[in-house]
Amino acid sequence: MAEEATFKCLRCGHEFKMPFDPKGPLVERACPKCQSNSVRRMKEEQKK
Amino acid sequence: MMDVGRHPNIKLLTYSEVEEVSGYVGNFNVKVRKKARYVDENECNACAECFKVCPVAVPDEFQQGFSSRKAIYMQLPQAVPSSYIIDMEACLGNNPIACGKCLEVCDKKCIDYDMQDEMIDLKVGAIIVATGMDVYDPTELDEYGYRSFENVITSMEFERLICAGGPAQGHFIRPTDEKTPKTIGFIQCVGSRSEKRGNRYCSNICCMNTIKDTVLLNDHYPGIEMKVFYMDIRAFGKAFEDLFRRSKEAGVKYIRGLPGEVREDPKTRDLIVTVENTTTGEVEQHELDMLVLSIGVLPRQDGSGIQKLLTLSRTADGFFMESHPKLKPVDAPTKGVFLAGCAEFPKDVKDSVTQASAAAARAEIILNADKIKVEAITSMVDKEMCTACEICYRACPYKCIEVDRENKIPAQIIEAACAGCGTCGAECPFGAVTMRHFTDDQIIAQIEAILDEDPMEKTVVFACNWCSYQGADFAGISRLQYPPNQRIIRTMCSGRVDEDFVLYAFKLGAPIVLVSGCHFADCHYIDANRWTQKRVEKLWDKLEKMGVRPERLQLEWISAAEGQKFAKVMRELEEMRKKVTKEEVEFTKNALKDLKFKREKRKAKLQADKAKAEKVAV
Ligand code: SF4
Ligand code: SF4
Ligand code: SF4
Ligand SMILES: [Zn+2]
Repeated sequence: MAEEATFKCLRCGHEFKMPFDPKGPLVERACPKCQSNSVRRMKEEQKK
Repeated sequence: MMDVGRHPNIKLLTYSEVEEVSGYVGNFNVKVRKKARYVDENECNACAECFKVCPVAVPDEFQQGFSSRKAIYMQLPQAVPSSYIIDMEACLGNNPIACGKCLEVCDKKCIDYDMQDEMIDLKVGAIIVATGMDVYDPTELDEYGYRSFENVITSMEFERLICAGGPAQGHFIRPTDEKTPKTIGFIQCVGSRSEKRGNRYCSNICCMNTIKDTVLLNDHYPGIEMKVFYMDIRAFGKAFEDLFRRSKEAGVKYIRGLPGEVREDPKTRDLIVTVENTTTGEVEQHELDMLVLSIGVLPRQDGSGIQKLLTLSRTADGFFMESHPKLKPVDAPTKGVFLAGCAEFPKDVKDSVTQASAAAARAEIILNADKIKVEAITSMVDKEMCTACEICYRACPYKCIEVDRENKIPAQIIEAACAGCGTCGAECPFGAVTMRHFTDDQIIAQIEAILDEDPMEKTVVFACNWCSYQGADFAGISRLQYPPNQRIIRTMCSGRVDEDFVLYAFKLGAPIVLVSGCHFADCHYIDANRWTQKRVEKLWDKLEKMGVRPERLQLEWISAAEGQKFAKVMRELEEMRKKVTKEEVEFTKNALKDLKFKREKRKAKLQADKAKAEKVAV
């Protein structure tokens, strides 16, 4: 089972969870709300 | 194939595997493992005496398991070279008690149980990848009962059954009673064009293959009743529509709708197919003697090996990606490597031959040239600045950098193989690499020119040459409206966008910076844009640590066809730009006031070291 991580869209601010495998190949990310690719993975300390 | 085997300029290595490839266009070194056949292929004259005495029978893969072969066998009657081979996993061995029968009967003494694999080194100028395809296994589609009902077969199995060289010598019979079926159905798009199971793409060949099969069956067995269940028939090629018409004129019924269920009558072993006919809107039942599943085409499941060896790239579907779909349709991204056949995408024989001819002609250009011209856009390393850290080598999608960290030998670019993406330049932590024609100085000068006046009014956009820049162009020629505040800096690849460029733009007062490139599947430099994403992610962290909103650095993948997306992104960025305050821009400028480029830092360090050394010498 792939792990999940929290992502934040830096365009519209939407936060969402998505499968994330730190060792797997990088995948193209898009915000499910606004389709922007400015999607940042939030590490623990960055989550508010 | 026979001609190929006999051609004086062609060395055919069958039953062999490529294990290593090094070098570059015009100068590849290839290591091939020629696997032991245990039969001397030059001596064997395919008399089949060994085959007759071999006591081991295993399912014949070529005949799709409909018949058996021996442990010593020929893969197919037309195999080149025409020689037998021993399947050592099945062979009982040359122990007189165990067997050794083939050795006894072979007059020409070709059998050698101790034969070893042979390693062959080849020097070649160009490489053509024609590794073919796999086919979809329909087992997961329970509703079609492929594994449950013997009279449900795949189109590949159909080919063997109808073939004169097949297990039934071309007599088309149904597996359960070996009688010629009177009614036969074909289900199209099995494993193709499906969002949930199998593949999303159209396999390209199955519609015409089924149409051909119906015409063939009608010629062999006039009167046989045939029904084809389909979503839509794709008869797009030359003379395809004519063949489709011939099939319909022969009485083949085309029913629009894919069956939801296949059952078997346990007594007769006939099949009952339930389908919604989407033309009439009725649910129908069809009783058939046999059912053929028109299975889709898959990329080779073991394709990652050759992909790594040749630094190829694959589309999301898993097929090898061409360098450019329109301008270089048979070139792989790695120079000197070409693609042919289904390795690139599913295609029929005619298209495969066309592509193979094109690939051969492209390869020929290289082979006939004493020297080849390469693009002038390559990277360059300043040897003095380089610390031989090997980071550039790791980042280079083409692995065309020679560097030796252990022996401190600085990086050297193999210019003939360098594609000019600039990723090495952006990744080098010491600023030792720059690009010809897209030098750091040129890009920095563009940033300065853009932000020289009214920086608050502008958004700095880095756009890659192949996709985003073309997307902008497409938006322009489509007359799409978007605000005029963006200033584009073109780089060959988004992988070229150094963090120094981004930070420098912020230092000069840019409210918003966008880095844009090709979608992952379209990257023109294999996977260089993955480095872009990693770099932007690091920059988001860095900006945040400095107290700068990471939102001010944006990332977008825009293809050449996405003019609409380009315009939309530009409108969104304009809204973001308007919200950036003067205070935060001033704060950023101040936070970055001491920004030094990587190369400046390295130069300063080298100078300091030199001064220290001179002092010691004095
Ligand atoms: S030695 Fe092996 S290949 Fe030869 S006849 Fe016996 S089982 Fe067959
Ligand atoms: S990344 Fe830079 S310093 Fe490191 S080996 Fe490559 S050129 Fe040299
Ligand atoms: S420019 Fe790209 S292809 Fe050329 S050496 Fe650098 S990373 Fe490799
Ligand atoms: Zn969003």
